[in-house]
Amino acid sequence: MLEDWNKRGDLVRILVARNLKIRYKGSALGFFWSLLTPALTILMYAIFAHILKFNNGQPRYLEYLVGGIIIWGFTAGAMNDALFCIVGNANLVKKVYFPRLILPLTTALASGVNFLLTFVPLVLYLALDGGLDLSRGYWLVPAFVFQLALCTGICCFIGTANVFFRDAQHIVGVGQLAWFFLTPVFYYPEMQIAAFPAPDPLKFLVFLNPMTGVLAMYRRGLMGLELIPREWAAAVPASSVWLSGLVCLAALAAGLAALNAGNRKFGDVL
Amino acid sequence: MSEKDDRTVAIEVDHVTKRFRLSDAGRSLKAAVLDRVMRRRAHEFTALDDVSLRVYKGETVGIVGANGAGKSTLLSIIARTLTPTSGSVRTHGTVSSLLELGAGFHPDLTGRENVMLYGSIMGIKASEMRRKFDEIVAFAGLESFIDQPVRFYSSGMYVRLGFSVAVQVNPDILLVDEVLAVGDADFQRRCMDKMDEFRNSGKTLLLITHDLNTIRRIANRIAYLSHGRLAGLGDPTLVTDRYMSDSVMKESMVVDDHEWGEQSAAHFTSAAFVDPKTGEEKTKSADCPTDDPVFRLRWHADRRIERPVVGFAIDDSISGRRIFGGNTQISGHEIPFIEGDGSIDLKIDTSTLQVGEYIFSFSLHSWDHKTNYHRLEHTLLLRVQNRKWFDGLVSLPVSWSGPNPPET
Repeated sequence: MLEDWNKRGDLVRILVARNLKIRYKGSALGFFWSLLTPALTILMYAIFAHILKFNNGQPRYLEYLVGGIIIWGFTAGAMNDALFCIVGNANLVKKVYFPRLILPLTTALASGVNFLLTFVPLVLYLALDGGLDLSRGYWLVPAFVFQLALCTGICCFIGTANVFFRDAQHIVGVGQLAWFFLTPVFYYPEMQIAAFPAPDPLKFLVFLNPMTGVLAMYRRGLMGLELIPREWAAAVPASSVWLSGLVCLAALAAGLAALNAGNRKFGDVL
Repeated sequence: MSEKDDRTVAIEVDHVTKRFRLSDAGRSLKAAVLDRVMRRRAHEFTALDDVSLRVYKGETVGIVGANGAGKSTLLSIIARTLTPTSGSVRTHGTVSSLLELGAGFHPDLTGRENVMLYGSIMGIKASEMRRKFDEIVAFAGLESFIDQPVRFYSSGMYVRLGFSVAVQVNPDILLVDEVLAVGDADFQRRCMDKMDEFRNSGKTLLLITHDLNTIRRIANRIAYLSHGRLAGLGDPTLVTDRYMSDSVMKESMVVDDHEWGEQSAAHFTSAAFVDPKTGEEKTKSADCPTDDPVFRLRWHADRRIERPVVGFAIDDSISGRRIFGGNTQISGHEIPFIEGDGSIDLKIDTSTLQVGEYIFSFSLHSWDHKTNYHRLEHTLLLRVQNRKWFDGLVSLPVSWSGPNPPET
C-alpha cells in the first residue's frame, strides 16, 4: 500500500487542492469562506454571549469556547468528509490503480489545511481580546500532528466502512454528537475529570478520549492554560496528555488496518 | 509457450480466479448482521475461473469472448482495480488503462484538471504533464472544451480525452477495453494509428474488442475467454475462428431441431454421449475420456418406417471443415424398421483425431435418401485432449522401414 510514495507528491497536492475546491465549488468568495466562517462564528458567539450572559462567571469563557469549537471543527469536518472519501471517488477507484490510502489521507489533509486557515481569525481574535499567550506555542506542534494522525485514521476507517455499510453515515452523525459532549469543548476539563466515573488514581483515563488531550495541548499553546486543571493537578499527572497522543496514533493504525482489509473488495462493491 | 520463455514477460496472470459476492454491494448493516447471524450463504458468481496468461513485452494481445465471459474483469484485475479471489498478477513496467470507456475522470473537475490528475496518478511530474498537455488536447480534439467540467462532455468527448491521456502518459503497458466501438471514423483511425505507433515502439498492448477483423490484423496473439475460462490462446485467425464457430454453434443449438422433409413422421428425441463409467447420457458437450466414445441417439416414430438410415457428420470446430461422415447404410448395419420410441448406439474410434474440438451432427432419413425425417445440426461438442504430438488434422497409421542399404 505504500509503494512509490516519492512519485505521489503531485497526486497528494492535486487531491488536497481538489477537496478544498469542491468544498467551496461555485461560491463567489471561494477560499475566503475558510476565513469568513470562523470570523462570523466568533462574532455570533460574542453577540449572543453578550446578550444572554452565558459566561458562567468564568473569565475568558468566550475565548475558551470559540477556540474549542474551531479546533473541534477540524475533527468534525474530517469525520463528515470521511464518509465520501472513497465512495465519492468510485470512478477513480474503479478505473485506475493508485495506493488507496491517498484518498483518506488527502481528505484529512484538506481538512487540516482548512483548519489552519480558520486558525488565522482565531489567533487574531484572541490577540485583539488579549487572551493570546503564545509563550508555550510549541504545544501547537504535537497538538496538530496528533490531531492530523487521528483524522487520517478516522478517514480511513469511516471511508472504508461507508463502502460496505451505507448505515455508516447515520452512525457517524450520532457518534459525532456523543463524542462532542464527551469532550471538553464548551465545558471545562475539570468538569469532565470530576464527572469521570473512576477513583482518583484512574482519573487520568479521561485522556483515553484523544480529543481531550489534543484540546488541552492547543489551549496550552494558544492561551497558556494548564494541561491539567489546578484542582486535579495532584491526582492527574500532566504527562497524561500523551495518553491521548497514543490513542491518536492507535486510531491511525486501526484506520490503516481497516483500509487494508477493505481495499481488496473496493472494486467489487463500488 | 516454453519456447518463448527467454522473452521478457510484461504481464503474468497466474491461476487467477475471481468470484463476486452478489450481496456485497451497498449493503445495510442490518442485512450484513442478519446474513452473519442466519448464516445465509451469499450468492456467488465466478467471473474468472483459473485463468493463466503470459503477455510478453512488445506483444499485442487481443481478448475476445461473449458478453459476460470475464474479459473486463480480467483487464480490471491486471489494472489492479479489482483484486483476484485467488491467484496473482504481476506487471512489469508502468500500466495505463482505459477500462469501461473512461480513464477515471471526476465529473466536477474540468478536462484540464482531470488530465493533470490522471498524470499525477500515473506518477508523472506536473511540469512534464504541462508539456504534454497541448498534444493530449489536440489528439482528443477538445481545445474549446478543455476548461469545462467533464460532466458536460458527450460520451464521445469523454472517451476521446480518456484515450488521449492514457496513451500520452507513455506507459509501458496499455490496457484498452472496447475503445474502438465508440468515436467517429476519424477518431477510430487516429486511435489505430496511435496504437500502431505504440506497438512499433516496443510497448505492450492488451485489448478487448468485438471487432474481430481489426484484432486479427493487429494482434500477435488472441486470448479467447468463455464463461470465465481461457478457451483459447494463440494465433489470431485460429482463435477468432474458434470463437466464431462456438458462437455459431451456440445459436444453432437453440434452433437445432428444425425438421425438414416429411414432417414429423419420425424425429430424434435426444443425442448424447454415454458416459462409459456411469452410463449417464450427456447432451451438451464432453471431454473425450476414452478413444472410442459411444453416442446414443433416441428417436420417436409416429408410424412404422421401413429400413431407415441414421447418419452422422463430424466437423472441426475451428475451420468448420467436415472431418468425417457416415451412416448405417454405408456401415452395412441395416435397421429393419422403427416404430414408436427407439434408440441406437454409435461407437467411434477417435484415436486418430488431432487435439481439438469437434462438432457432431446427426440425421435420420429413408433408405433411398429421398425422405429426410430429421436432422440435428451441430448438436454435440466433443473435446479431444491428450494426444501424442502429430502434425495436421488426423493421425494416419504409418510404418517405417530402413534405413535402406545404399544403392549401388
